Amino acid sequence: MIRLIHAEFVKVRTTQVWFWLLLATIVVSGLLVVAQVAPSDGIRHPDEVPDLFAAFAATPAYLLVFVLGVLGVTTEFRYQTITPTLLQTPSRWALVTAKMITYAILGALYALVALVVEAVVGVPWLSSKYSLHVHWGNSEVQRAIWGTFAIIALFGIIGLGIGALLKNQVVAVVVGILFLAVLENVLVAIPVVKHVFPYTPNGAVQAVLTTHGSRTVNGIDLLSAGGGIVVLLLWAFIPAILGAAVTLNRDIT
Amino acid sequence: MAAPHVTTPPAAAQGGRIVVEDLSKVFGGSVRAVDRLSFTVEPGSVTGFLGPNGAGKTTTLRMLLGLVRPTSGRATIGGRVYRHLASPTRTVGAALEASSFHPARTARNHLRVMCAAGGLPAARADQVLAMVGLEGAARRKVRGYSMGMRQRLGLAAALVGDPRVVILDEPANGLDPEGIRWLRGLLRHLADEGRTVLISSHQLNEVQEVADRVVILNRGQLVQQGSIAELTAGSGSVLVRSPAVDTLITVLQEQGLSGDRPDATSLRVRNATAAQIGHAAFVAGVELHELTEQRFDLEDLFFALTQQVPGAYAAAPPQLPPQAGYPTGGPR
Repeated sequence: MIRLIHAEFVKVRTTQVWFWLLLATIVVSGLLVVAQVAPSDGIRHPDEVPDLFAAFAATPAYLLVFVLGVLGVTTEFRYQTITPTLLQTPSRWALVTAKMITYAILGALYALVALVVEAVVGVPWLSSKYSLHVHWGNSEVQRAIWGTFAIIALFGIIGLGIGALLKNQVVAVVVGILFLAVLENVLVAIPVVKHVFPYTPNGAVQAVLTTHGSRTVNGIDLLSAGGGIVVLLLWAFIPAILGAAVTLNRDIT
Repeated sequence: MAAPHVTTPPAAAQGGRIVVEDLSKVFGGSVRAVDRLSFTVEPGSVTGFLGPNGAGKTTTLRMLLGLVRPTSGRATIGGRVYRHLASPTRTVGAALEASSFHPARTARNHLRVMCAAGGLPAARADQVLAMVGLEGAARRKVRGYSMGMRQRLGLAAALVGDPRVVILDEPANGLDPEGIRWLRGLLRHLADEGRTVLISSHQLNEVQEVADRVVILNRGQLVQQGSIAELTAGSGSVLVRSPAVDTLITVLQEQGLSGDRPDATSLRVRNATAAQIGHAAFVAGVELHELTEQRFDLEDLFFALTQQVPGAYAAAPPQLPPQAGYPTGGPR
């Protein structure tokens, strides 16, 4: 398994996608800090300080890591490298497990980069301009940081699972982005249907990261933080398992 | 060309036998691509896997390699189905098509991925690149590679694990005459080391030059398998042209020889030598205008078995004399 994970890292390292998505992560994290701090209704109260660190996972910025995960499988189909990959690793379970671990680690690394950018840009800004100081030991700050690690790592796996399930790069990216960034926001406005929101990825993310204020969205109660993690785990594992058991087992011709 | 240094004990060579048993594949419920196919491929030899386009060659190879699930039957390598091999990279090296590379990855990095997955040292990538003559292009992205370079890279990928079984689908495609000559030498070398070498091809002349055995497939079914010598033995004929064909027929019949008559002035005599016929004609005083031994070659056998006329076989190159621009790899 260590070998397979190593091979997956070599695959990532030897193409350029990781670099462009990392660059985007740095830029987007910086912009998120500006969006959180600069406006007049930005972070002004000590209770709101954890929002600085929750921003990357709480907004569609997580799509960057989702896309990284999607490409982790669909590129193999696009360029038919799936053939040599499966020749080397005939077990679809072993392959998908190795990819899940790899992309969870990659997701955590991107989360780390985002958090570092948020800290480097946001912390001095808040402290110098608004005299808001970050208390690293504060449980809400800790929750935002660890929640970001967990959520972004899981979005790496969610992307991977959707990629494994759909195989087609364009379809998987478009479906994923439409669902996560558009459809869920529409869904929460529709009566009756909106009750499924807590069980969607965004509903689960909010359940994990909401540290202050209302825990309802449009009158729908969010799950507990733990419940949110469980929902995200299901979103991560079910498509990946289906991908390994069904899609990747289909004939590769 | 640097030769891979390998010591393959006889016991390990035995583990390299490919056995296809009663293998069938039905696509979409109705298309029977492979139909109850059985054959074996022995270690220490080069086996050509032949058949017209659509005969089921690639589907068979993909079933053998665990990429396509058989509808029934099984294919094993050293007694195991591919998915159950303990270390596939070190056991079987396969090159199926020349396009399975990420265009933005370099040749070296493509092989390094394989080294990582197969638990091989990364330096092995450079070794096999040198073996296939790509060391100069190792750090170039595959995007800029020619067809021939991709074939060589595919071959390098197949050899990276120093496997005892080598399976190549159309390895000569895109190679220039020099490359084909080199490939032939390499395949011979691999087989002589005790490895099992299975190559599919539509270039019958190429296969005849290098293969010891052939497995011929048509419409998903086995048509013939065996050594080339066995399959073509006793099937030679002699073309005789004479103004007195009728007299000649009588003379030959007395000698117990038979054949057919393609046109008014010629005969094709089976199982005879030119000397035999020339002598009989001379003794009987029959004038001869032509006396040509015709070797029944793989291409004739192939068309005879697959019921196709040569002209209909679009992919086959025009018949060239073996030495015309394609130097042979040695006496066979």
